[in-house]
Amino acid sequence: MSKIDEVRDYELFIGPNHPGIEGNFSLKLKLLGDKIVGAKTDAGYLHRGFEKLMEERLFIQNIAIVCRICVPDPDPNENNYSRAIEEIAGIEVPERAKWIRTLVLELSRLASHLFAIGGHAATTGLYAFPNWTIADRDRILELFEELTGGRVYHIYQLPGGVRRDFPDGFEGRVLDVMDYIESRLQDYDDLAINNALFIKRATGIGVLTKEQAVSWGVTGPNLRACGVAADVRKDDPYEIYEKLEFDIPTMTDGDAYARMIVRRKEIEQSISIVRQIIDKIPSGLVWNKIPNPLKWNVAAGDAYVRTESSKGEYAYYMVSDGGRKPYRVHVRGASTTHAVHVLENLLVGTRIEDASQVMFSLDGCPPAVDR
Amino acid sequence: MEEKLTQRSVWEKISNKLSKRSLWMLHYCTGCGAIELPPTMTARFDMERFGISPMVTPRQADILLITGYLSVKTLKRVVLTYEQMQAPKYVVGFGSCTINGGMYWNSYSTMKCLDQYLPVETYIAGCMPRPEAIIASFNDLIAKIDRGEANSWKDYYKNYDFYKANQDRTFEGPIETYNDIKADAAMFNIK
Amino acid sequence: MEYELENSIIDKMQPEFPEAAFTIKKARRVEVKMSSDKLYNFAVRMQKKWNFLHLSAISCVDWLQDNEFELIYHFWNYDEKVLVMAKIRIPREEESHFETISNLWQPAKFFERDIHEMFGVYFDGSEDMERFILTEWHGPPPMRKDFITREYALNFFHYREYDPEWLKDMTAAGEANE
Repeated sequence: MSKIDEVRDYELFIGPNHPGIEGNFSLKLKLLGDKIVGAKTDAGYLHRGFEKLMEERLFIQNIAIVCRICVPDPDPNENNYSRAIEEIAGIEVPERAKWIRTLVLELSRLASHLFAIGGHAATTGLYAFPNWTIADRDRILELFEELTGGRVYHIYQLPGGVRRDFPDGFEGRVLDVMDYIESRLQDYDDLAINNALFIKRATGIGVLTKEQAVSWGVTGPNLRACGVAADVRKDDPYEIYEKLEFDIPTMTDGDAYARMIVRRKEIEQSISIVRQIIDKIPSGLVWNKIPNPLKWNVAAGDAYVRTESSKGEYAYYMVSDGGRKPYRVHVRGASTTHAVHVLENLLVGTRIEDASQVMFSLDGCPPAVDR
Repeated sequence: MEEKLTQRSVWEKISNKLSKRSLWMLHYCTGCGAIELPPTMTARFDMERFGISPMVTPRQADILLITGYLSVKTLKRVVLTYEQMQAPKYVVGFGSCTINGGMYWNSYSTMKCLDQYLPVETYIAGCMPRPEAIIASFNDLIAKIDRGEANSWKDYYKNYDFYKANQDRTFEGPIETYNDIKADAAMFNIK
Repeated sequence: MEYELENSIIDKMQPEFPEAAFTIKKARRVEVKMSSDKLYNFAVRMQKKWNFLHLSAISCVDWLQDNEFELIYHFWNYDEKVLVMAKIRIPREEESHFETISNLWQPAKFFERDIHEMFGVYFDGSEDMERFILTEWHGPPPMRKDFITREYALNFFHYREYDPEWLKDMTAAGEANE
């Protein structure tokens, strides 16, 4: 037996300090040559103990911290949190506020998808593409800044509605940005999505079958890329999604390329939803007064609320014991399945150069795993 | 004679002039502030205008940008990363949570004052700071290097015992490092 | 009839679990309270018979006064589009034990592991109960109610002195409100 044969498999640590890792996250890979034969994820680098922090703060104070749980797509957190309180305390939300919330959620989805497809293409070496998508995403962030005052974290939705109404002429500027992003989609297709190199790199990588996806708890665009037309917006409608017309794009291949296509098609759907909202939004109040939040004892009870975030099903389980602070909030981040055991399972059998592509194509969100 | 010692030599002046225009920032997303780095690095804000570019390896990097809170688990990796970097090296604390805990002041998991563990060159306040703020702080850093005042990295060698004690207390035991800081200090002639 | 779908779900399940208490919380949310020894059988039937293919989450609540942990299993049905929350209570001990359902649902692995390190509930039969997020944590399970994060942090970490004049009134008002 020669020396070479003795060295059969070896371990490689990827991350947390690595450009091919999404956020602050780590992978322990077992390799045979350049083929991955085993993978273990290591999370917790972003653990801040949100669930504990929420138990020590007033209901209203938590609005400022919940958005920080998922950084690229913060609005589903605010929405979930506010709706959970509304359900427990029995607060009505004005009609216009529901429409505005839906608009914010869809803009957030657009921003997050632009980020995700850019990052995915970058893992195959197409660095021009994120330069475009992230610069285009900035236009949406500017809309957010105008509406809420914050680029990344908005702290905008609170129990009873939203913080403020549209500024003057905001609707027109939203439509302008939507037109702009729609005009860019053709460029995106030409540069990355129909790029022969990208197709070659992404096809057949990280294949999930329909049965696997359902039993592994995959949700969101990743599930729809396997041919399951499941979407919380349709199945368990919240806010005003029942009143809107939109499709759920699906693909059947279940590989990295299919996940890219699903996100690309969802961008179109989101643009259409935003236009419908601007077209049909009713006038009226944006916030129903709630009791003095500093002395507000929310009634005892519990609620499980779900949102379709850009990464999948995002859910909050909130328990109130009748006090001023939540008794328990459990955050079910969208990536708790995708970034942990789905990733571990999918990495086995792929080659080392595709490891980060698999990760980015699943669009895992480490802060939502760690909380 | 004494005046000369505090002044920079010609070589140091030249070296500062040159290094201020080619800074490499370590590509390490330690916290949520990392979400504002892609806009800063890419087409819209484009920090390469100032000669700053992301670098993937610690040994070739000059700037360690701490993007927000550090959990104790990450802090350990950050300390190891910092010790691997070649001097001169500059730590930039980004966001309120590096200054005094910020939102996470009562969290059991995140450290509160970054300068207890590493010597910090500049802080950027805010939660979260905008890309303009990042670029402004980098410009400050460039000006500081040019004036020869960006010397906080020497502090790590000078006061290593202080930093090491804080690190050990937070990690509840010494960590295994691969760098002999005391020997490095002797090499730089820092006491 | 209101809640037709939810009632049909309950009618289907009630005969097999006569002691379980079903309630409809709102549209698409059915709550069921049962004794902890029935949970595994319930979970098997949920998956194999009633087609609840998606385990949305497992939540744990620490009821310190009752000296109990409450585990809540959230099951989602893709076809009927109903969420069933199965609630059970187990005694609260130094290290509580409960049986795993990770052989039925893959996602349960993450949630059980998470509950183990955050609350100290060990799930017997799970293949991986190692620490995941808190690998470098030396204290007690932090999500337990008797662990006060504010006290721990103030003792453990170093804070910068910051007490400006303008903040004093606000601090006093906040403390009075506590």
